[in-house]
Amino acid sequence: MLEVKSLHVSYGGVQALTNVSVHVSKGEFVSLIGSNGAGKTTLLNSIMNIVGKQKGTAIFDGKDVTKFGTSQIVTSGMALVPEGRRVFSNMSVLENLEMGGFKRPAAEVKNKLEEIVKMFPVLGERGYQMAGMLSGGEQQMLAIGRALMSNPRILLMDEPSMGLAPLVIKEVYEKLKVLAESGLTILLVEQNASMALKYAQRGYVLENGRIIMQGKASELLGDNEVKRAYLGKEYKEKWER
Amino acid sequence: MQFLYSGLTSGSVYGLVALGFNIIYNTTGIINFAQGEFVMIGGMLIYTLFAVMGLPFPIAFIGAVGGAFVMGILFEKVFIRLTKIKNELNLITVTIAASIIIRDLAMHFWGRDSLPVKEFIPVFNIQLPGGVMSSQSILVIAVSLFVAFGLNMFLKKSKYGKAMRASFDDPIAAETCGINVSNIRVMSFGVAALLGAVAGVIIAPIMFVTYDDGIMTGLKGFAAAILGGMGNFGAAIAGGLLLGILESFSASIIPSGLKDAVAFIVILIILFVKPDGLFGKKKVHRV
Ligand SMILES: Nc1ncnc2c1ncn2[C@@H]1O[C@H](COP(=O)(O)OP(=O)(O)O)[C@@H](O)[C@H]1O
Ligand SMILES: [Mg+2]
Repeated sequence: MLEVKSLHVSYGGVQALTNVSVHVSKGEFVSLIGSNGAGKTTLLNSIMNIVGKQKGTAIFDGKDVTKFGTSQIVTSGMALVPEGRRVFSNMSVLENLEMGGFKRPAAEVKNKLEEIVKMFPVLGERGYQMAGMLSGGEQQMLAIGRALMSNPRILLMDEPSMGLAPLVIKEVYEKLKVLAESGLTILLVEQNASMALKYAQRGYVLENGRIIMQGKASELLGDNEVKRAYLGKEYKEKWER
Repeated sequence: MQFLYSGLTSGSVYGLVALGFNIIYNTTGIINFAQGEFVMIGGMLIYTLFAVMGLPFPIAFIGAVGGAFVMGILFEKVFIRLTKIKNELNLITVTIAASIIIRDLAMHFWGRDSLPVKEFIPVFNIQLPGGVMSSQSILVIAVSLFVAFGLNMFLKKSKYGKAMRASFDDPIAAETCGINVSNIRVMSFGVAALLGAVAGVIIAPIMFVTYDDGIMTGLKGFAAAILGGMGNFGAAIAGGLLLGILESFSASIIPSGLKDAVAFIVILIILFVKPDGLFGKKKVHRV
């Protein structure tokens, strides 16, 4: 469904991604893990063309979207839940959702809105509140809801666990699981390797802008190298707390 | 009371100009020092369409503000779009250069003389508690408030108005929603020019129109925006009215030749004492 080939991205001479290739099949839940600064956000942003690509191609559903503008990419059926959620904090929850459906006809937006409020009841309860007043977890739900408003076939998720308490992280992942089971394709990037790999079918490991490992999520979870580099640290942090 | 009434009249014009400053500040983070030129353009266009060509006022009005809207869009597409490195300093410099070019062009088209525009409505005085107000002044205040209200409704209720607010709030998130933020920026220049032109049209019969009106009007609108606090539409109108009233009252204590200095004293006091403006929120840093 999504095929990213030999992607190179640099920020003014500083290479952030080198020869990154990632593919996601229809209906798959794929997680890409990597530590802070590995280039995860850069990967998603360059797929969406928020950040320019230096080299490489992105094919989505057989269409070459490499050079599409962001808004065109959204129309073609991809949506991004950005890092840090980035809800419109001075707009109401409902307005945020409405903006997510900016490219969609009004009637469809109305139906979609009902659907999303059913899925995330808290967004309905707080519909008229400013999004900036929501808790981190609620904002994450809102960011997901907003992305779903464009009726995407693939959802790109950037670091959904960032800054959230473990229980809330679990809640967010459970929602993603429901979405995946309903047939939505998901490409998720995370530092929180254990959660990301637990819910995914397949995974990649990104280090210093290169893919260094890939395979079944369960195999990566059991891999000694992954344990040492990505899971070990988390376990240690848990101990220290 | 009389001072209050005349202050409200000029103040509502400052308020409209301040709104224009705010819209562009919100979408681009810059102060558009050519904002005042659109007030002059509005006045000049109404002079040409209404006073010279004799078109019915409603048509001339639509022509003048519509013309300014298009010019605002062209302004963005030429001056802002072509600036290679869009940092704040460069963009502000470009707006200052553009304002001088617009002024010079206006001088060539319309000459150096002050041009009269006749009233659009019957002129009569209305007796109010403690003073009188002309029907003209009331029209100015009413139109300004109506336009400010209309802008508010546009931003709150319409799809494109909401997209504009989303783009103010977080341009990158707006892009991910499929909103083309650079189109929104173009539109914001059009809307700001339109607001300026409305101010220019309604004030034209009260003050003559001169090619260099834009400097003073622009700076006073800027002072009103600073006084209210940048980035806040309600505060822009309030800042405008307050500045108009201050100016008007000051005329009773200082020589009238110094009236224009009030706006600059206000800018200085605000920047020294309360840089976020009277009603401003703490600035959020843009990424
Ligand atoms: N806008 C930017 N300008 C310059 N360098 C950047 C920018 N964004 C990210 N980088 C650099 O690119 C690398 C990858 O960053 P990022 O994609 O944000 O990583 P991650 O999301 O995995 O934490 C980092 O070294 C970071 O410092
Ligand atoms: Mg990141």
